[in-house]
Amino acid sequence: MKRIISSIIALVMVLTFCVGAMASCNVGDVNVNVNGNGGDDVVIPEEGFDTTKPVTITFYHQMGAALQEILNSAIADFNELYPNITVEHSSYGDYNGVRDQIKTEISVGNQPNLAYCYPDHIALYNIAGAVQTLDSLIDGQYGFTAEQKADFVPAYYNEGKAFGDGKMYSLPISKSTEVLYYNETFFTEHNLTVPKTWDEMEAVCRKIKEIDPTCIPLGYDSEANWFITMCEQYGSDYTATGDDNFLFDNETNRNFVKKFRSWYQEKLVTTEELSGGYTSALFTGESDSGTRCYMCIGSTGGATYQQPNQTNGEYEFEVGITSIPQVDPTNPKVISQGPSLCIFKNADTQEVIASWLFAKFLTTDVNFQASVSMNNGYAPVIQSVKNNQIYADFLASASTANIQAYAVKVALDQANAYYVSPAFNGSSVARDQVGLLIQKCFALEGDDVDSAIAKAFKDAIAECKYQSGQ
Amino acid sequence: MAEIKVMKAKDMKKVSSRQKVGKVLGLTATYLFLGIMAIIVIFPFYWMISSSLKEMDEYRRAIPTLIPKVLDFANYVEVFTSEDLLLGKLFYNTLLVGVVSTFFSLIITVLSAFAFARLEFKGKNALFALLLATMMIPGELFTITNYQTINDFLGLATLGKALGNQFLITIGNWRNTYAVLIIPFLVSVFYIYLLRQNFIQIPNELYLAAKVDGTSDFKYLCKVMIPLALPTIISITILKMMGSWNSYMWPRLVANDEAHRLITNGLRTAFTNAEGVTDIPVQMAAVAVVSFPLFLVFIFLRKYIMKGVSRSGIKG
Amino acid sequence: MTTNQVKTVGVRKKSFAQTIRFDKWKGWIYLAPALVLLLIFTIWPIYNTIRMSLLEGYTTMKDVGGATFQFGIGNFKRVLEYPGFITCLKNTILLCVLTVPISTFLALLIAVCLNAIKPLQRFLQTIFFMPYVTNSIAIGMVFAAMFNMIIGGSARPDSVGIVNNVLEFFGFEYINWINAGSEYWANIVVMVVYIVWNALPFKILILLGGLQGVNKQYYEAAKIDSTPKWRVFTRITVPLLSPMLAYVVITGFIGGFKEYSSIVGIFGESMGPVGNAYALDTMVGFIYRAIGNQEGTASAAALILFAIIFAVTMVNLYVSKKTDYTGKKSNAKKKKKAPSAAKAAKAAKPRKSINLNATVKPVIAWSIYAATLVIAIALALIFWL
Repeated sequence: MKRIISSIIALVMVLTFCVGAMASCNVGDVNVNVNGNGGDDVVIPEEGFDTTKPVTITFYHQMGAALQEILNSAIADFNELYPNITVEHSSYGDYNGVRDQIKTEISVGNQPNLAYCYPDHIALYNIAGAVQTLDSLIDGQYGFTAEQKADFVPAYYNEGKAFGDGKMYSLPISKSTEVLYYNETFFTEHNLTVPKTWDEMEAVCRKIKEIDPTCIPLGYDSEANWFITMCEQYGSDYTATGDDNFLFDNETNRNFVKKFRSWYQEKLVTTEELSGGYTSALFTGESDSGTRCYMCIGSTGGATYQQPNQTNGEYEFEVGITSIPQVDPTNPKVISQGPSLCIFKNADTQEVIASWLFAKFLTTDVNFQASVSMNNGYAPVIQSVKNNQIYADFLASASTANIQAYAVKVALDQANAYYVSPAFNGSSVARDQVGLLIQKCFALEGDDVDSAIAKAFKDAIAECKYQSGQ
Repeated sequence: MAEIKVMKAKDMKKVSSRQKVGKVLGLTATYLFLGIMAIIVIFPFYWMISSSLKEMDEYRRAIPTLIPKVLDFANYVEVFTSEDLLLGKLFYNTLLVGVVSTFFSLIITVLSAFAFARLEFKGKNALFALLLATMMIPGELFTITNYQTINDFLGLATLGKALGNQFLITIGNWRNTYAVLIIPFLVSVFYIYLLRQNFIQIPNELYLAAKVDGTSDFKYLCKVMIPLALPTIISITILKMMGSWNSYMWPRLVANDEAHRLITNGLRTAFTNAEGVTDIPVQMAAVAVVSFPLFLVFIFLRKYIMKGVSRSGIKG
Repeated sequence: MTTNQVKTVGVRKKSFAQTIRFDKWKGWIYLAPALVLLLIFTIWPIYNTIRMSLLEGYTTMKDVGGATFQFGIGNFKRVLEYPGFITCLKNTILLCVLTVPISTFLALLIAVCLNAIKPLQRFLQTIFFMPYVTNSIAIGMVFAAMFNMIIGGSARPDSVGIVNNVLEFFGFEYINWINAGSEYWANIVVMVVYIVWNALPFKILILLGGLQGVNKQYYEAAKIDSTPKWRVFTRITVPLLSPMLAYVVITGFIGGFKEYSSIVGIFGESMGPVGNAYALDTMVGFIYRAIGNQEGTASAAALILFAIIFAVTMVNLYVSKKTDYTGKKSNAKKKKKAPSAAKAAKAAKPRKSINLNATVKPVIAWSIYAATLVIAIALALIFWL
């Protein structure tokens, strides 16, 4: 026994020694500030892009089968323009799958040419300096025309610049947002007005509660979105790029959390996690629990789940869709979510340019943008899609029966209201933490709620800092 | 022998009616206990089948239903007709990887377990303790390094690039090969440990007798130890097959191209829509479909466990 | 050692020196394939883990980006300073100490019962192994559903989860097991049930395999003496199964300390009921979160976890060696038993008396040893911090 233990200890010591010896070779200043590592622009060679030499680019995404079909036909269209570019694409299930795959690949210098991403993914890849900035490509000989640039929904386009250094790291590809789904039949029947502000929302909720005491008038699916959006609407701090990332522990934020907590406690509102499932189930009346929601704030991407049951070909009620309530209706703020495209650095400029050409094609091709939107209820990122006849017909069909079109229509109509959150390594940690914070505060029991909320905020900040490695 | 029979006969006479009642009660209790445990154990299996027969709407409810309201076999139809899921290719890949890795893994495990159980050599105990120790580090930490290893095996790919040698580059980079799905997990300390525990149960006398007869260690291993430990070896086979069948993270990372994709990866990505929402009922149906062959294999191998048992007396 | 003595007797036919030289290396030759693969795919990664743990603030992304790191124990400090570290440790140990003895005992009981019956034996065996062919997605969901009690503001919950239905049937109150506002003990109960359930098929498989390898003569002998059943269980079954029991207990502890996915299965990535995230966080949960973008800290945490598991396993091994009925120490006793059925049957009687008087402690005893040690370590750590 002694021998076993001593030999293990000896082994560990030898290993440690080896590590020490190795590590002592590269002891140096701790180079922490690597956030801005990715800023080298690509220089397009004078002779331009060689359209005769075959080039293969790889593209990672999370598309399901139906979207991949659309992508394949887009690639076919793209190959008519550039027959020498082969696009190999593969799906990694979900956004986190794409991120984890690329992260591991970056560690051995094996990353793809372009990928679907969220802003915090870019911040992560960028620590390794792996993401290609797009500014010189956008303005270069293969770049966007002024017309194309202006065609983008501005907030979507600016998301690519939210990394604190003003450079462009990504192009938007398709976006969802949150909208308010309401039971139009119920609202008409009881002569209720659809709320435009949070104060009106509270009043309507109380009225509904009088009509149906067992109901929970409003379901808000995403706790994190709620918190972040309220920060934007109040103009209070949430996060920032730079040294001090996590700023959401402030009085305004604590106050609105406290207010909404009392709504929750009075059973005026519930959320996905707190109710144990998407609140759309309560909205459509699918839940067995006997509880109903008459309003539901959820993603446009999940519009089909807000569709009520059909009996004898008739929907049980008509659904209305509108923008979410605001603090200040003259300065509306709604979240935008959904994937962007980023290009990875590559020693072969041909591959970088080919990737850019493909990215440009996907973001500006009306057919692709329209097909994706009609397939999944996400909004296209360019405004000219509306002029496409098929897409216009799609939007015109907006109704309870075609609820996806209805949701997209509302999303497109509020194009000026989208905001952009700062992106940095750890922005997704902040998002997770504020979501948990809402859950925690809402569920709080006891007398001294204020200090409990204050503590929860403080803990969340500490957890953010810890998890993001600060 | 005669003595035993006599004793047994005497014993039988002693058994009073009260004892008989006790025996019946004991048996009833045994069955009752096994029955209850069986129901508990089987429930998730039932759940999988029941979910696979639900419509998506019913499945998505906040409060799940125990029995599907409408039996919806469409999920199964989708599994077999979906172009997302090239079932044939996935099955072939999984079977190939499963069988080959189980085969080699068994050889390595048997040899190692034998060395640890019977052979005497310097540093044996320390080595064994070291092996056990490797089980204790969370495996996820290995992934980062192992991924680097298979991308540039022993630095061969780098060397190949430096020398411009395509052959070295090819054998240095294992991504998207069957090898990368098989080789890194051939050795399992868990199985070596399990089999060693079984081997040391076999009385030393047999080994010593074999030694006196001049039987070589290897022959002794094949002729005596393997047959005696057959139930355990079959258990290991099942576990290893299951492991190959259910492996997910590593294959996804290193061989997720169409030619080498395994069944779990195929399943997880197949029925996910653009929202990242998975059509779980269809997925469950697919899981049920792919579990079925495994289940058959299981039933088939169970007979061999029994056979192995009948042979596992000291006589061998 | 008897082995060595007989070896020399056996090899006299061959060249003495030759054989000795060969014997010295034989073990290593048998082990060679395993060792080569382990070196590449296990030992090398462990070395890398140690390296990362000693580079302060190491992340692969920064490394690729060209950053350099200070050499030191900063990562270890970071782990110990983490506010939730004690929670992780407490949960890990609690779950381990509860689930390993329970699952081992239940598995043993089921295996023994299965071994004792004739009709339906095959059928029941198949059923007990069947969870092996279910998918983990399915299992996590079903357990969550079984304990789920939706109270999201509704005055009259229609569904409270099948477990609560059972409780109601026996006249108990509903318990909020896993939803918002549920209590810690309820969460732990659910986790214990789930983990035990998860561990059962494997343990039954191993123990049943072991039981069916046990020589029936011991039982015959016991029958002749009309030894009470529980005594047969503690004095014959458990000692004879001790290598298999040692295996399931040791691997159970190792697995128990690495508990993570089962908690995610029930509670999701937030590792706790709604409104109380990370209440059930474990060491591996902590490592997982750190592995995303703080590999240095993750490595340090993994090594700390390793140290704990290592200590517990050493105690386990030590105790199992002491109680190992079939191990080297009992060789002398075994020698009395000749390898033929008739003789073994005869030998069984003196053997049994040895059994009854020998200091063979049942497996439960060592679980308690290990548990005590773990608790001691935990307390030491908590006080030290």
